[in-house]
Amino acid sequence: MDIKDIESYPHIAFDMDGPLVSHFFLLLQQGVTIRSRTGCSVAAFLREEIGADGETIGKIQSVILDGSPVDDLESAVIKDGSVLALSAAMPGLVGATLRRGGTYSSFRSAITYHETQEKCVKGEGLIQIKIFNLLMAELGPGLLKKGVVIGSEDFILFTTGQSRDFWKVCRGITLDGKPLGAGELPDSARLSGKGQVFLSVSSDKAGA
Amino acid sequence: MDKILRIDMGADGGPKTSSVPLGQYAGFGGRAMTSAIVSKEVPPLCHPLGAENKLVIAPGLLSGTASAMSGRISVGGKSPLTGGIKEANSGGQPSQVLARLGYAAIVLEGKPKNDDLYKVFINKDGVKISVDNSLKMLPNYDLVAKMKAEYGDKISCISIGPAGEMRMASATVAFTDMELRPTRHAGRGGLGAVMGSKGVKAIVLDDTGMPMRAPKDPEKFKAANKRFVDGLKGHAVTGQGLPAYGTNVLTNILNEVGGYPTYNFKQGRFDGASKISGETQAETEKTRGANPTHGCHRGCVIQCSGTYNDKDGHYLTKQPEYETVWAHGGNCGISDLDKIAMMDFLDDNYGIDTIEMGATIAVAMDAGLAEFGDADAAIQMIHEVGKGTHLGRIFGGGAAATGKAYGVERVPVVKGQAMPAYDPRAVQGIGVTYATSPMGADHTAGYAVAQNVLKVGGDVNALKPEGQVELSRNLQIATAAIDSTGMCLFIAFAVLDQPDTFQALLDLLNSFYGMNLTGDGVTDLGKKVLSMERDFNARAGFTSKQDRLPEYFKSEKFAPHNVTFGVKDEDLDKVFNW
Ligand code: SF4
Repeated sequence: MDIKDIESYPHIAFDMDGPLVSHFFLLLQQGVTIRSRTGCSVAAFLREEIGADGETIGKIQSVILDGSPVDDLESAVIKDGSVLALSAAMPGLVGATLRRGGTYSSFRSAITYHETQEKCVKGEGLIQIKIFNLLMAELGPGLLKKGVVIGSEDFILFTTGQSRDFWKVCRGITLDGKPLGAGELPDSARLSGKGQVFLSVSSDKAGA
Repeated sequence: MDKILRIDMGADGGPKTSSVPLGQYAGFGGRAMTSAIVSKEVPPLCHPLGAENKLVIAPGLLSGTASAMSGRISVGGKSPLTGGIKEANSGGQPSQVLARLGYAAIVLEGKPKNDDLYKVFINKDGVKISVDNSLKMLPNYDLVAKMKAEYGDKISCISIGPAGEMRMASATVAFTDMELRPTRHAGRGGLGAVMGSKGVKAIVLDDTGMPMRAPKDPEKFKAANKRFVDGLKGHAVTGQGLPAYGTNVLTNILNEVGGYPTYNFKQGRFDGASKISGETQAETEKTRGANPTHGCHRGCVIQCSGTYNDKDGHYLTKQPEYETVWAHGGNCGISDLDKIAMMDFLDDNYGIDTIEMGATIAVAMDAGLAEFGDADAAIQMIHEVGKGTHLGRIFGGGAAATGKAYGVERVPVVKGQAMPAYDPRAVQGIGVTYATSPMGADHTAGYAVAQNVLKVGGDVNALKPEGQVELSRNLQIATAAIDSTGMCLFIAFAVLDQPDTFQALLDLLNSFYGMNLTGDGVTDLGKKVLSMERDFNARAGFTSKQDRLPEYFKSEKFAPHNVTFGVKDEDLDKVFNW
């Protein structure tokens, strides 16, 4: 995926009314891609790109950067192509082990994140972000409203798997600003031939 | 709870019961009680299925009281799977009911002289044991339905399925939940086979007419319980994460860090993880009209459990837990939640440990008996076990037996027991516990609990490599103590972070019994339990050689981090130096 291509992906926008907007949140656990500045710390990324305030950052107990648990949000750096996963506090010893800077962090020292980049290269890039569990409802609405890139096939699987109840609360869908029927979604997702769609979701009950 | 019910199944003229005072076992509950009786009374070199072994079932110290979370029950004996001492614990209603009936333990002893099958009924009027061969080979759900028809719906049941009757080393002891379904299991170590060897199919309990156990200081007890509940509800894990998603909430994060054992422990990531995650599971349950937030017994305020409906909205099974979803899911390459839920139901119904069964299927897949990802083949393997076919008998013997039968080297067991859902190469500290726990590879042995509160063995420098050994030691001590209270181990998350919640737990015990237990007292209890268990194992022939992970964990690199298990043997041998 190239940052320049994002503009050419089909932009599919959902307008939802009602609680089933939470179904979109499940896409976030698989990972969505956003355009973001790079060369900043994870802490700055969370604040400035994701819009997480201090309280929300406090709830983000596990931060996984490129597959490794991060202890210090200020020293770990976001780069083009980074994969960042965020989770609230998890149960059990292993859940406690994966918390940032926790008592049991030594249990996973073999996989802990260590920043190797000495100088930050500031710029813009594509970041894959995964959001798990309680953070989905917290961070999902804002991310989905701004728009995220996901694979066309994942998007088609997601829409074809939805129940009648889901479509009942879907107030409208647009493709690049033009109204679209639900049946037309698979074709539109494959439009660009680049295997990706730019998805945005708005809802008056986004946190439901 | 001032007496022990002993049932001699081998007595002349048929089973004989005696109700005896606690004697030397006064002050013990749960795991402390089962391990004390087993280590004292069972000859360590006996055959686990022989007359000399005993099956001990013990509610916790606070079971049957108004205390929240106090309904766990311990089952102990010499394990047919590991050959060592075993305590497996379970949720469900029987702990509360047994405690209200006044029993601190039931001990099944001896062995019947023929192959009759017995049921035991206990209520306020006493104990009745009768032969009921119509129960033979009934799966747990059918058995409980029969007991309900016979004794009414105010009962709770402790039972074995066909796997227990066939004395398979992966057989469980089942406990009914609030809806009188046999969904809770003392799963690990094959204690269902020990119950089967005693010829007991079901223990039916009815506490009608029995009051709740009364504390010595009701005011202090009430106040402590309130602080305890507030602490649990106010904590992010016990108050929000677990109720919303259950334990399966761990799938995504374990997968992300590359610590999710996949394809029989070959790699740490599974492509289908998001399809079987706790988040997806909870959403699926809600859409189908099931309940993702439910307790396994009355008095649970965390409610990590739930129910799982099929596509048509009919009850299929209880919400499968993380270990079950992993064992039958990623470990076998299966990403279909409905099929995994079906396997959970079959395991419960036949009475098989879900972790052992999932690990066994993965070993069988590695042996070429089916493709990884073939859910229908996996379901068929469980049916083979339930029916007791020749192949099923091998599978029912567990992952180690299956690995031996098919010549597989990659068999993830310690002391013969299959490892749970965390790879010890990615999270090496848990590997220390897998290796050294007297129970065999066990994720709950050193599960959690306030090392920073208890200061077991002083402050630990967690950044030193040996810190992993020290932490594992402390966690095993604290866990042994919590298992003895009958409290659900999931309280540990709140106790870990909130000293006042830990103090509330101590206050509950102290106000109930009129004692003055401190953090040090809890530590001493945990050490005592572990010492009894280690002593039993030593007398059964265990040496430090059994406190090891299989060799391949030290040589096979585990992707994506390409790590091997690096804790040295001499460090493992220091875990129990206190
Ligand atoms: S938290 Fe879960 S396992 Fe513990 S008592 Fe409640 S439902 Fe049972």
